[in-house]
Amino acid sequence: MTFDWSVVWQHRDALIAATGTTILLTFATMAIAVPCGIVVAALRLYGWAPVRAIATAYVELFRNLPLILVVYWAFYVLPIMTGLGLSPLATGLAALVLNVTAYNAETFRAGINSIRRGQVEAAMALGMSRMQALRRVVLPQALRRILPVLASTWVSLFKDTSLVSVIAVTELAYVAMQIRAQTFRVLEMLTAMAAIYWLLGYPQAKLVDWMQRRFAVTE
Amino acid sequence: MNPESQTQARRAKAGGAKIIRYRGVIKRYGDFQALAGVDLDVHAGEVVCLIGPSGSGKSTLLRCTNGLESIQGGDIEFEGAALPREERELRAVRTRMGMVFQSFELFPHLTALANVAEGPRTVLAKDQAEANRRASAMLAKVGLADKAPNYPSALSGGQQQRVAIARALAMEPDVMLFDEPTSALDPETIGEVLNVMKQLADEGMTMVVVTHEMTFARRVGDWIAVFDSGRIVEQGPPAQIFDAPTTERTRDFLSHLGWTG
Amino acid sequence: MDFDFSVITDHLSFLGSGIAVTLLLSVLSGVTSLVAGLAVALLRLYGPRWLRPLVILYIDSMRAIPVLVVLVWTFFALPIIAGVTMSPFVAALIGLTVHLAAYAAEIVRAGVESVRPGQSRAALALGMSQAQIVRRIIMPQAIVRMLPAFGSLLSITIKDTAIASVIAVLELMRQSETLAGQSFQPIEVFSFAMLVYFLILFPVTRGVDMFYRRVAHLGRS
Repeated sequence: MTFDWSVVWQHRDALIAATGTTILLTFATMAIAVPCGIVVAALRLYGWAPVRAIATAYVELFRNLPLILVVYWAFYVLPIMTGLGLSPLATGLAALVLNVTAYNAETFRAGINSIRRGQVEAAMALGMSRMQALRRVVLPQALRRILPVLASTWVSLFKDTSLVSVIAVTELAYVAMQIRAQTFRVLEMLTAMAAIYWLLGYPQAKLVDWMQRRFAVTE
Repeated sequence: MNPESQTQARRAKAGGAKIIRYRGVIKRYGDFQALAGVDLDVHAGEVVCLIGPSGSGKSTLLRCTNGLESIQGGDIEFEGAALPREERELRAVRTRMGMVFQSFELFPHLTALANVAEGPRTVLAKDQAEANRRASAMLAKVGLADKAPNYPSALSGGQQQRVAIARALAMEPDVMLFDEPTSALDPETIGEVLNVMKQLADEGMTMVVVTHEMTFARRVGDWIAVFDSGRIVEQGPPAQIFDAPTTERTRDFLSHLGWTG
Repeated sequence: MDFDFSVITDHLSFLGSGIAVTLLLSVLSGVTSLVAGLAVALLRLYGPRWLRPLVILYIDSMRAIPVLVVLVWTFFALPIIAGVTMSPFVAALIGLTVHLAAYAAEIVRAGVESVRPGQSRAALALGMSQAQIVRRIIMPQAIVRMLPAFGSLLSITIKDTAIASVIAVLELMRQSETLAGQSFQPIEVFSFAMLVYFLILFPVTRGVDMFYRRVAHLGRS
């Protein structure tokens, strides 16, 4: 049994590009899923009953489906439904956005709801409108609780980008496994793949820990 | 001056104007009747204390007064006009009432000074300098000028409640509503809050106070209303309620508290 | 667009076997990761000092590496080093256990640390040994407090079994893929799969919620 670790170095360009795609996917998904999550959360909190029901149904649906299934579904079904021919990257992005928006919506909703009713009452007793109370009293406090959870979602998202490899998006997992198939260097490539994810993911996990300590809420 | 004369003196000074009028107020939560027809007058400069067992409707009445809760029957009049139903008008009325909560409800992300300045700044649209000036004055009034830059988490319960009183006072209200202001405090800090409230009363502020502090009600109150099951079972000057109650319910309630006068 | 769901009914046993494998893998890996996670947490809390950094390294590494990567490595790379052959199912079981045990360990640790220290002091004052305190006073309260997080982890476990399709475990995701490819009716097949997963997952989270609400008072000191 011989190992040839130089394979990893030889393909470093492809791996670096693939890592770039992974990071890009993560950023792009969050950039869309945060505003969308805010909108859905607002609909759930302040919308009319039918709107609330639809928003809740959306959130509950995507929180109770495996992401990999959503990826496949987006790949096969979305073109037929929308009549558009989307690239695998766009399809993967769509699936990730649908999934993460649902989690973000829940995070924002729970964060706002966690602020005691008494705070809103105290603000209103001073004569503030609901909007003012939300802006000046609820949101500043809710943000402290939301940010660590959002950071945690970010790290999960970073890992979940590996799932779009099943529809041949050229991110890290797909490219690493392609190289493995071409070179037959199974152990070397798979270990390198794990190592790269570890190198990027470990600091992110530690950052989340720091954020949870920094924004810890003491009642 | 004996207590009754003090009350009459206060009423005379303020012209006897009715600041708040409750007539047949009814409030329901689903099937539960929280208020079953409450009649009460609050005159200018008076300190009205609402006492009674937990769940008897005292806090509910207070929260209906500034529209935090809505009533299903009866009337509430404030300064001669019925309490508005429309949210914007109701907000304007709230600026003329100050409310102090049992759980203080200071805004934890703001310093003491910022807490007190928040009302003038955001609701009365004063500029920052004017709002801060008012806030400093109010903090000094409650004896906490040196705590201005501190966050609520660094203050004791009694200090937080005094800041909450200052916050309400900064709006220059016509009446102050206190919802069990000392129930969540350690015994050592109750005194400092009650002293601030007595000081306000001596200065002629109209106050409606829900409290379990009978000594305070006896000494500072001008008019006591005893609640039970959503109704006022007896109301009158402290001398009557505490020394010579006319109803069985009042006697029961006071004896349960161990009140021996 | 008309849908022909007969493709589902015609292949019910094919899909059904997938569902069975999904459930089996979920339950098995749920149990093994729970046991392993408990062991890891106890090692971290009460074990030798020098072991702690290694345990923490393991837990944080599993937070950094995707499940897909763990499963693929376990199935393709581990046999090369260890010199064993394993079926996709076993590889998935091992991979899921290793990955999820890290999360389980964190849940246990958080649960134990959330029990008020006064509880231990009271038990010590009665004359209990450390082992007795952990077993009779701390663990029962901690377990109640951990329930919501474990419910969430169970939900994640079931969702992660779908990733095992990548290493050819014949669970529901894999069977759906195959059928969708053969029948050229991906909409019907994947919609059915979505329905099944939702019907499995939704009661799990709701059920844990409701059960927790009943017993929450047991964990409050």
